[in-house]
Amino acid sequence: MIWATRAHCHVDRAACAWLIQRCIDSDAQFVFVDDPDEVPSDATPFDMRNVDLGHHDGDCSFETILRRFELDDGVLWDIAAIVHEADLAEERHDAPEARGLDVLVRGLSMTHDDVGLLVLTNELFDGLYEFKQRARLLGRDPA
Amino acid sequence: MSGTNQRRDWVMLAYRVPREPSTPRIALWRRLKRLGVAHLADGLVALPADAKTREQLEWVAEEVVEAGGEAMLWIAQPATANEERTLAARMAEAVAADYGAVIAAARAAEAKDVTVRRRTLARLRRSLLAISQRDHFPPPEREVAREAVERLSGSVELAL
Repeated sequence: MIWATRAHCHVDRAACAWLIQRCIDSDAQFVFVDDPDEVPSDATPFDMRNVDLGHHDGDCSFETILRRFELDDGVLWDIAAIVHEADLAEERHDAPEARGLDVLVRGLSMTHDDVGLLVLTNELFDGLYEFKQRARLLGRDPA
Repeated sequence: MSGTNQRRDWVMLAYRVPREPSTPRIALWRRLKRLGVAHLADGLVALPADAKTREQLEWVAEEVVEAGGEAMLWIAQPATANEERTLAARMAEAVAADYGAVIAAARAAEAKDVTVRRRTLARLRRSLLAISQRDHFPPPEREVAREAVERLSGSVELAL
């Protein structure tokens, strides 16, 4: 499937793209647009205004996708809390990783285009998933 | 807030939300406060435009529409550099007051015992981070606040 989002990805979009590839569509192709009118007719838009897979009822797009696709993996919700705080900084969740994640993704977005950025952030989120999964098994942060 | 006459783009949100229910209104008010917007008039707010602020206000606009209201985003420039300076000064003044509260709390905590100092330190660090996210035109108080919190941090470490 083709998935469309706004160009110049930051943390929420990068996290969504990772989630889509990992859990929803392993052959996902992404297009990046500057204006909502540029979304191809056969593409599923996400993290844009006026689309289903965006911010809704206080959720960031990552959380919306988890809900819409009924991905009830607790590790993904742990990551959702971090992404939410990195994106919105609302202090709704206790997620001290958020600030660091936001800075890392912002920095990478300065040195890479969207395609290159997502390659790197996919690695970042794979590692974060592994860490959070082990933390859940151990009941504490893994050494 | 430099002395140049170079004006910048601002992203402006014109919005109207129904008076009832009040929950989305309050959520909206909180979010705008957190973003540090300049209130230009009833239902008209602005932030200096960059990719981040534009996106932030886009999501606010979405929230307004979901709450049954109307929202429109504009990219605009104040007509004169003077108007822009006035606006920036007003925004800087608002965050300066917030930094002032941090400075006062950090100094007051210095006389307290180490447990209180440590707890205050954690709270003030969170406050500084939150203020920095709505600080678009940093006033001199920012550095003073940082230094006050760092001094408090030093006094906590010494006590360990």
